[in-house]
Amino acid sequence: MDQKTRNELLKLFKSKLNEAMRLYLETCTRCGVCTEACHVYASTGQVKHIAAYRSEIIRRLYKKYFKIRGKLWPSLSESKELTDVALEELFEAAYSCTGCRRCMVYCPFGIDTQMLMSIAKLLLIGANTEPEILTLLADTSVEKGKSIDLFKEGFLQGIKNLEKEVVKKWKAEAGDSVIPVDVMGADILYVALAGAHSIIPAAAIFNAAGENWTLSFFEAVNFGAFVGDPTKTKLILDRIINEALRLKVKEVCICECGTAFRVMKQLSGKQPFKVSSITEVHARYFKEGRIKIDPGKFNTAITYHDPCQLARNAGVMDEPRYILSQMTKDFRDMTPDPTYNWCCGGGGGLVALGDETIDFRMKSARVKADQVKKTEARILATACENCHSQLSDLNDHYKMNVEVKFLSSMIADALVSE
Amino acid sequence: MSDDIKVDKSLDLKGLACPMPVVKVSKGIKEVEIGQVIAAVTTDPGSLTDFPAWAKTSGNEILKSEQDGNEITFYIQRKS
Ligand code: SF4
Ligand code: SF4
Repeated sequence: MDQKTRNELLKLFKSKLNEAMRLYLETCTRCGVCTEACHVYASTGQVKHIAAYRSEIIRRLYKKYFKIRGKLWPSLSESKELTDVALEELFEAAYSCTGCRRCMVYCPFGIDTQMLMSIAKLLLIGANTEPEILTLLADTSVEKGKSIDLFKEGFLQGIKNLEKEVVKKWKAEAGDSVIPVDVMGADILYVALAGAHSIIPAAAIFNAAGENWTLSFFEAVNFGAFVGDPTKTKLILDRIINEALRLKVKEVCICECGTAFRVMKQLSGKQPFKVSSITEVHARYFKEGRIKIDPGKFNTAITYHDPCQLARNAGVMDEPRYILSQMTKDFRDMTPDPTYNWCCGGGGGLVALGDETIDFRMKSARVKADQVKKTEARILATACENCHSQLSDLNDHYKMNVEVKFLSSMIADALVSE
Repeated sequence: MSDDIKVDKSLDLKGLACPMPVVKVSKGIKEVEIGQVIAAVTTDPGSLTDFPAWAKTSGNEILKSEQDGNEITFYIQRKS
């Protein structure tokens, strides 16, 4: 690596050094409490997968370039040179961490390994060594924001084609739009994913609840966050914020995508609208008696996987349990509980990397498969696209003998009018 | 199928979850030569905005798209 590149990367490093980050970099006592907390280490037993080991790579660079001691006495301070080899180590550390933050709840100092890995991801972007496909996906989302008028018509046609499917689940009242789009003053702006499965059940439930809603032109997922690019994360988020402001909606409801919800909830700043996950909205409909379901529809044992970004990292834990308590008499929670729940092993962009990461995703999530199997449930519900994909792969790989289902699809399938 | 376009590779992306249609089409386009055409079939309504935006970003060209019920076929020419 030449000096110019190194200097540019160090500038990026510096841009991440806020107070919290410095604290995380300076307080690790190497107590080892986080060792068993990481599902990757717990499944593979490899030292390089220990949370504190990952962070140590960042920490040594920090010592070398941002601490006097490391600058003057590198050998005494365990500091490390930023080289091409260091970049390879950063890649390995960052893209084997799903950002689940389980280690953080165990660490006595609350050190956030996911945050530290965001330094690694930013350096990889600066060196053009990040996974190319994640950047391409982020750029595609940004482009959509810039040129939405060019693509609107095609989107509206695609949506029209889904209406029949929605009506099969819930017959709309005469005159009602089945999938409303671009409705000024709607109460809820629903931000879905590209797939029909993210739109059809949600539309049926909104219509059953008599909601005044409108579907966003944009997809909820934020690939800028997966690849760790703060500028793109913001641009992708702003598309939705601007649409919500333009339509003057009261609430933005994010579909079953954990990262999309966490990013919207935590990074959208003070806005005149509320941000909710679709799971929270559905729990509200049940509580207010706005939707009714056939409680005998799923006559079997059901368990629930808490998506890390929705539960541990954004606090949505009670709502899915409340919903499932309406749907089955045999709900079996996993052990340990939601705060300490094992990650599915697919976060941090790993699922989006598809076949490239499948071996690693399967090996590193053995503890998740064991946790599911112990419940002996036959349905494994969840509320995140990423988790759903990963859990379906785990189900095949580890023969978990469950049906992996989206919570919203289960509600839509069980809807009744009285 | 479109009669006037010669297809060099076909991709069945029906029923795939987000973001696999775009991921697979990005990989698929690299498996044909510059100037050649792939036909990608999806069932995602979002692909009607995702694919044109992806083509613009990645420097490829959508020659044509056809809808048949829920199935959408994109004819994409590799340009770079
Ligand atoms: S638990 Fe916290 S302080 Fe202890 S080794 Fe892990 S990161 Fe360091
Ligand atoms: S955030 Fe999750 S995957 Fe990353 S080191 Fe901590 S426990 Fe492991």
